[in-house]
Amino acid sequence: MQRQLELELIRKCKAGQSRFYEPLVRAYEPAGLRLALAMMGNTEDAKDALQMAFIKTYDTLPRFDLRRPFGPWFFQILRNQCRDMLRSRKAKFSMETLDELVELHPADTERGPERIRQRNAAKDLLWRGLAEIGPEHREILVLKELEGFRYGEIAQILDIPEGTVASRLYHARSALKNALVGMDVEYP
Amino acid sequence: MSNRISPDDLMRYLDSEMSPDERARVEAELARSTELQREFALFQALKSDIQGLSFHPATYQSSVWDKVNAHVNRPVGWLLLIAGLVIWMTYGAYVFATSSVSPWEKLGTGAVAIGILLLLASVIWERLQEWETDPYRDVHR
Repeated sequence: MQRQLELELIRKCKAGQSRFYEPLVRAYEPAGLRLALAMMGNTEDAKDALQMAFIKTYDTLPRFDLRRPFGPWFFQILRNQCRDMLRSRKAKFSMETLDELVELHPADTERGPERIRQRNAAKDLLWRGLAEIGPEHREILVLKELEGFRYGEIAQILDIPEGTVASRLYHARSALKNALVGMDVEYP
Repeated sequence: MSNRISPDDLMRYLDSEMSPDERARVEAELARSTELQREFALFQALKSDIQGLSFHPATYQSSVWDKVNAHVNRPVGWLLLIAGLVIWMTYGAYVFATSSVSPWEKLGTGAVAIGILLLLASVIWERLQEWETDPYRDVHR
């Protein structure tokens, strides 16, 4: 979503016009779901966390500083919501299997059944590897690799100094590599 | 890993978070050290594979917007309902109290109205108590 449009929508929401919140929810829902899934491991809990995060975001919009970007702020609320749910045991981390979770990329269907099978097997291994590592590793990998956030934005979302992001990523990637090695997978 | 390039530097290089000067320094070291090349290739492969992993669940069809919308707009609805009720009830009580009907009729009708209000208040109180102890109250389905 364009920054100017996003700002305008937030201004209207802050002024109490709640109908302008819908485009924001729809714009951030897919990315939010990916982060929530990585943290909660299953669709149901991820949806609950996402829903609560959008509600909390709306409730705290009056305090939102318009000079700051909305995305990292929302993801910080979502990440805290996931952690709260896991901590309070309202939800327990349980990783769904890849079959339950993943839709094929449209390009996959054009490359023949064998190619699809190979790609799905590789994805399945990776997904199992991600399930092996802790949520603190998964969340930073999702923010970096799937959402494409810069280090500064990741630092803001995770509430850590920017200088430690590289270190956290190194440990997360190393943990994933070790998990894959534990499953007899060689990289690269 | 090369002792000239730290793990943090390698991550910053991989994620394009370096200045041109810093990149040149890492690239020079990469050209020199096969150990560093192996390490970098490994992290590059991991990065690429994770990026190719789609997380969108096949079972996720409906947006959470409806539930969010219900919550966001609910307070306004309640506020209007309560304000309207208070206005009508106050006006009704005034009209009733100043009307010319007999005192017995006023007493009987007043007792029925107060009884209904007390019962309603007790039901609301009970529901409120249940809600406060409900561990799933934050989960909207």
